[in-house]
Amino acid sequence: MINFDYIRMQSVKSTVKALAKFTDAKMIAGGSNLIDLMKRNVTAPTKLIDINLLPLKYIEQSKEGLRIGALALNSQAADHEIVKNKFPLLAMAINAGASPQLRNMASFGGNMMQRTRCTYFYDTSMPCNKREPNSGCGALNGINRMHAIFGANDNCIAVNPSDMNVALIALDAQVVLLNAKKERKMAFADFHKLAEDTPNLDNHLQSNEMIVEILIPENNFSKNSYYVKVRDRNSYAFALVSVAAGLELEGKTIKNARLAMGGVAHKPWRLYDAENYLQGKEINTETFKEAAKIAMKGAKGYGHNDFKLDLAPASILEALMKAAHLS
Amino acid sequence: MSNQKHPENLEQDFTCSSRRGFLKATTALTAIALSPTLITKAAINHRDEKLAAFFEKIPLNIEVNGKSYKMETEPRETLLDFVRERLQLTGTKKGCDHGQCGACTVHVDGKRVNSCLTLAVMQEGKKITTIEGIGSGEKLHPMQASFLKHDGFQCGYCTPGQIMSAIACINEGHANSPSEIREFMSGNICRCGAYPNIVDAIVEVKNGGQKG
Amino acid sequence: MENLLNLIPDDTDRTDGILKVTGGATYSAEYKIEGLTYGVLVQSTIAKGKITVLETKKAEGAPGVIKVLSHLNLNNSVPRYAKDDNVTIDRNIQKVFYNDQVYFAGQPIALVIADTYERAVYAASLIKANYQEEKHHTYLEKNLENSISPEGKDYLRNEKDAYKNSEVYLEAEYHQLNNIHNPMELGSITANWESDEKLTVYDKTQGVFGSQKHYAGLYGMDSKNVRVIAPFVGGAFGMALHTWPYQDAAVIGAKITKLPLKLMLTRMQMFTMVGYRPETKQFIGIGASKDGVLNGITHNAWGVTSTYDNFTEGTVGGTQFMYKCPNVNTQYKLVKLDVSNPIWMRGPGEATGMFALECAMDELAFKLNMDPIAFRLKNYATVHPVNNLPWSSKFLDECYELGAKKIGWYNRNPKPKSMTEDGMLVGYGMASGVFNAGRGAATARVILDENGKLTIQSAITDIGPGTGVMMKSVAMDSFKMDAIQIIVELGDTNLPPAPTQGGSNTTSSVGSAVYDACTALKEKMVEVYNQSFGEQKVYDDFKFNKEGFNIKGKSFSYVDLLKKAGLKELEVTRESRSGTERQKYVFNSFSVHFTKVHVHPLTGMVKVKEVVCALDAGKIISEKQARSQMIGGVVGGIGMALTEEGVYDHRYGVYTNNNFADYHVPVHADIPPIDVLFVNKPDPYINPIGAKGLGEVSIIGLAPSIANAIFHATGKRVRDLPITLDKIAIWRD
Repeated sequence: MINFDYIRMQSVKSTVKALAKFTDAKMIAGGSNLIDLMKRNVTAPTKLIDINLLPLKYIEQSKEGLRIGALALNSQAADHEIVKNKFPLLAMAINAGASPQLRNMASFGGNMMQRTRCTYFYDTSMPCNKREPNSGCGALNGINRMHAIFGANDNCIAVNPSDMNVALIALDAQVVLLNAKKERKMAFADFHKLAEDTPNLDNHLQSNEMIVEILIPENNFSKNSYYVKVRDRNSYAFALVSVAAGLELEGKTIKNARLAMGGVAHKPWRLYDAENYLQGKEINTETFKEAAKIAMKGAKGYGHNDFKLDLAPASILEALMKAAHLS
Repeated sequence: MSNQKHPENLEQDFTCSSRRGFLKATTALTAIALSPTLITKAAINHRDEKLAAFFEKIPLNIEVNGKSYKMETEPRETLLDFVRERLQLTGTKKGCDHGQCGACTVHVDGKRVNSCLTLAVMQEGKKITTIEGIGSGEKLHPMQASFLKHDGFQCGYCTPGQIMSAIACINEGHANSPSEIREFMSGNICRCGAYPNIVDAIVEVKNGGQKG
Repeated sequence: MENLLNLIPDDTDRTDGILKVTGGATYSAEYKIEGLTYGVLVQSTIAKGKITVLETKKAEGAPGVIKVLSHLNLNNSVPRYAKDDNVTIDRNIQKVFYNDQVYFAGQPIALVIADTYERAVYAASLIKANYQEEKHHTYLEKNLENSISPEGKDYLRNEKDAYKNSEVYLEAEYHQLNNIHNPMELGSITANWESDEKLTVYDKTQGVFGSQKHYAGLYGMDSKNVRVIAPFVGGAFGMALHTWPYQDAAVIGAKITKLPLKLMLTRMQMFTMVGYRPETKQFIGIGASKDGVLNGITHNAWGVTSTYDNFTEGTVGGTQFMYKCPNVNTQYKLVKLDVSNPIWMRGPGEATGMFALECAMDELAFKLNMDPIAFRLKNYATVHPVNNLPWSSKFLDECYELGAKKIGWYNRNPKPKSMTEDGMLVGYGMASGVFNAGRGAATARVILDENGKLTIQSAITDIGPGTGVMMKSVAMDSFKMDAIQIIVELGDTNLPPAPTQGGSNTTSSVGSAVYDACTALKEKMVEVYNQSFGEQKVYDDFKFNKEGFNIKGKSFSYVDLLKKAGLKELEVTRESRSGTERQKYVFNSFSVHFTKVHVHPLTGMVKVKEVVCALDAGKIISEKQARSQMIGGVVGGIGMALTEEGVYDHRYGVYTNNNFADYHVPVHADIPPIDVLFVNKPDPYINPIGAKGLGEVSIIGLAPSIANAIFHATGKRVRDLPITLDKIAIWRD
C-alpha cells in the first residue's frame, strides 16, 4: 500500500469542500471494503479523507419516514428497535450480510459504495473493464458462477454484492447527496447503475459528492417481509441469489408488493413487473410461481451461472411464501 | 448515537494551498491529522529516509488495554499490525488480513471489529481491548475459563479472536440460543473445527449471567 | 495478562491451554528479536514460462528496503542449490529463486526485505516481471492421456474387472477439485542467524528435525548448529510436513542481509505455496450377488501433481482391503500439470478414495435394496484381504452398531425423498473410514525434580490435537500424579528426537515413549531407593501414588526420596519403537460417520443437522481432546463434502478463489452438534498404551456419509465434490 495522505474531517461542509478540491481523494468510513481493495492494489488513492467524525450516525423517525445518516453502522440499524419493528426487511438483509464484526464497521454509505466481489476485478493480473477500462472482461468466458443474469453486457457481468442494497431498493428508499454547492435527492433505485459502456462506474455519485442520508418512507410491509439469501455456506458468504420480499395484505389479497433481488445484476435488481402482477392477487403458490416466472423475463446465463436461471425463481417463490407465512 | 442532522451549521472556511497535499488545507478544514506525501516524495528523491519517515508519520493517541500510548503511525498501518508489530501484543492474530476470518477481532470502544481492515490512525482517542486485556488480576475472564473447560480450541490460533467475538456476542444480546450463537459467531473461522465446543463455552458463560 | 500465565490447567485441560486463551502463546511470527526485518514475497502471474525481465530497481530504491532477492542475484550463495541441476531438493522441495523458470502461477519470484512490514509490502508492489509465456496445462480432465503410473504396477487380486460378471453391478465416476489446508495461522517463519555458522529458526512445521536437516543442508552445516523452535503451530493439517520455498527464502534472505527476518505468507499465497489435497478423478466398478455378497471391485484414480514432483497418496489403498471381496483391481495414476506441488492433507488419499468407495457401496446397497449397514456387515473382513494377516484389533462392527443406535438409523424411512421436517427434506447417510495405525521411533525424557515436579520432554510438535495433554495424561496415569505436578516441553530440536507430527502417529509413537520413559524412571527410583536405604526391593513392591510411592505400608514422597539420595533431580531418556508385531498383524483405526442433513426443497441449500461418529482407535488417552480432534475432522469433512474447492481459470492457470471469502471453509453456522462415540478398547499389540490414533479417520468417510444423506433426502446422487446446490439442482426433477 502506498503511504497516502490522510486527513480527518470534522464537518460535512469541509468534507465536500475537500472533495471539490482534491479530485484524487477517497473518503473512508468503516474501511472494510476500501482497505481490502487497497491491500489488493485494486485501488490506490493517494489521499484519504476520514469522515468518521462527521455527525451522520443517526437513525431516527421523521414525518417522511426513517432517516438514516450515511455513517450509521449496519449493526446499529439491524439492532435498532424501529428498524426491527417497522422495517424488518432491512434488518434481515443487513444481518444476512458479512459478519458481526464487519457490520460493526460498515456504514450505510460505505455499504452502498461496496464494490463487486468479482474475482477478475480483485486480481490485478487479470483483465477487468471495471478495474482497468478496455482491458476486457475476464469473467465473460471465465469462471462466472457468481455473476449476473440480468442487465449485463460483454463489458462486465459483475454483480453488486450488497444485501442491504436489496432491501433498500425494495423499500423505495431515497438517497440524499451533497456537494460543495448543493444537495440533491434521488431514488435509491437510481443510485446504482448497470455496467453499460462504463463498468468502471458502479453508481451515479459524482466525485465531488458524498452520501449524507438514506430515507426510507413509511410502509405497510412489516408484517409480511422476508429476505432469502442463498449462498454456498450458511453464513458469511456472498449471495448466489438473494430476494427481498414485502407484501401488504388485506386478508389473503395482495394490496401491494415489493420484490427485489441481489446477486443477479450490476445493481440491486427491483422486480417491478412481478410486483405489478402480484397486486390484487390472492396469496398462493401458483400466484407466486407466476410472479417468479415474470420476474425472470430477460434473464440470461453465462455458463457457470446458468443455474441461477432456476435458482432465482425458486428463491423468489421461497421469499414470497415466507413473507406470506405460507411456509 | 448522534441526533445531529445534516447539513450542520458550519462557519469554517476553506482555503487550500496544495503544495503540500493536505498540509495547508488542514488548519482551515478543521482536520486533525495529516501526512504530506509530496514532501515525503521529495525526501525520498533525496534519499533522506529519516526525513521521509518523519513526514510519513502521524501522531496517534490511543488507549490499549487500559494503557495510554502516545505514538506515531504511518496512515497505512492497520490496527492489527500496530498492535502486533508496534505494541508486541501478538495475541491478536493475522489469519487472512482481509476481514474474511475474524482472527484479528478486537474491541474498539467495546465493539468487536476486524482490526485488519481498519487503520491505526483512525483509532485516535479510542479505547482498544485485545485478548491480553480481558483477564483481571490473577483470574481468567469467564470466557477464557469456559473455552479452556470446554476445549474450545485446538491449535489456538483463532482463539483470541473467537474469545473477543464471543464476549461481544453476549454483550450485543445475540447469544440467546445455540443457533443464534452460531450465526453471530460466523465471522470467526476455526479451521481445526472447535465450533461445537466454542458454542458450548459461550452458552455456559451466557447462562452464568456473565457479562463482558 | 502476565499473572494469568502462572495459572495451572485442570487435569483434563490442555497443558498450553492458558497460553492459548490469554494470547500468550507465541507462534512463529511472534518472537521479539532486536533489529527484526520483514520479508514479503512476489509471485509469478503466469502458469508456465520464463522470466525475461524482472524490474526490481524501484523496489530497491523504496524507503526502508534492505534487499531484493531473486534469481538475478542469488548466484551460488546457497551451496545445496549449487550442488546439482535439479529444481528440487529431496524430490519435493522446490529451490527458491533458482532460475528464471516459472512452473506454476503464484510461484515466488522475488523477496523484498525491508525495515517495516508496510514498507516491504509497498516495495513488493513495485516489482514488475515480464515473461516469455509457454502453453500451460492445469486441467486434469483434458490431460488424462498424459498420465503416468508412479507405482510401476497396478494392484490385482484374482480376476480383473470381475464386477462386470456380477448379478448386480454399478459403474460410476467421482471427482473432486483441490482442497487447500488453509490452517488459520499463515505460513510463517522467523530466521535469525546468530553468527555465520549458527541459525535459529522459529518455524511453522510439523516436525522440527525435518526442518533442521533441511536448513542445515542448505549450507552444508552440522545440524547441531541449527535450532528449530515450534512449541505452537497454528494448525497445519499436512501443509507443514516438509519445508517450502518461502521458508528457504527467509533463511537465505536473513543469511545474506545478516539480519533477523520474519516472513508471513498472505492468505492468497497459502493457496499456491504450501500444497493442497489434489484434484482427483475416480472410477469405481463394483458388483455383488443379489443377496449382497461382493464379487468384484475395480477402483481407478487419477490425481494431480506438479511437473517437478511425482506426489502420490493412498487413494485406492483402502479399496484393496476394506471389504471381503474375492476380485479387486486398483490403478493409481498421476497427471502432471503446471501447478504447484500437492502435499498430504488430513486423511490423505484415503479421504479421497473412501469418498468414491463408500458412495459406491451406498449406491450398490440401494440397487440391492439392502440396508447400507447390513450390506457392509455382509462383506465384513475379519482377515486382511491383501496380506492375509489378522488385524491387531478391529471393532468396526461395534462402530456401526453404536452410531446407528445413537442417530436412530433404523427409525428412518430408507426410501429417498420420503422424509420431511420443518419444511425441509431430510436425509440420513453413513460411511466408514479406515487408516493405518502406525508407530514411529520416538524418544522422551522425564525429569523428576527435588520439588516433586515431573518434566516431560520430547521434540514432537503439537499442531492442535493436544499432544501436550496426551503426554501429560500418560504420565499422570503412570505415576498417578495430578496435572499440577507435570510440566510438558515440546516443539524444539534441543529436546529428545520425535517423529514429524502426522499420519495419526503421534500418540502411538510419542505416547509410548513417554510411557516407557515413565516406567524407566520408576525403575530408577527403585534402584535409587535400594541404594539409599540398602534394601533389595523389587519394582512390584512399589505402589505409586499422587505424592510418591508406598512400599509395603510405608509411604515415601518423591521429594523425600531425592533428598535421601542427595539428588537434585532424577532423569531418564528412553527411545521407543515398534517391533516384530508389525510382521504378525495389520494395524488400522476405523471410523463410521452418520450424518443427518436438511435440504431446502426449493433452493437445494444443504444444512447438516446432526453428526454421529463412532470410532475404534484403541484406547483413548485424553478423551476431551480426542473428542475435539474427531469433531475437527468432521468439520473438515463437512467442508470437503459441501463447500471447499480450489477453482482454476484454466485459460490462465490461476486460482479464482484464493481467499477466505471465496474458498468456503465451514463457519459456525454450518456446524451442528456432533456426537463422538469411542469403542475405547485398547489394542493389545500396537504399543504399550494401546492407542491407535484418530487424526485421519476423523475425516475419512465423512464426505461420503453426507453425499449419501443428500441422496436419501433428495434422490439425487452427486458424485462431484463439493456438493454445492447447483449440482443438486433440486429444481430439476
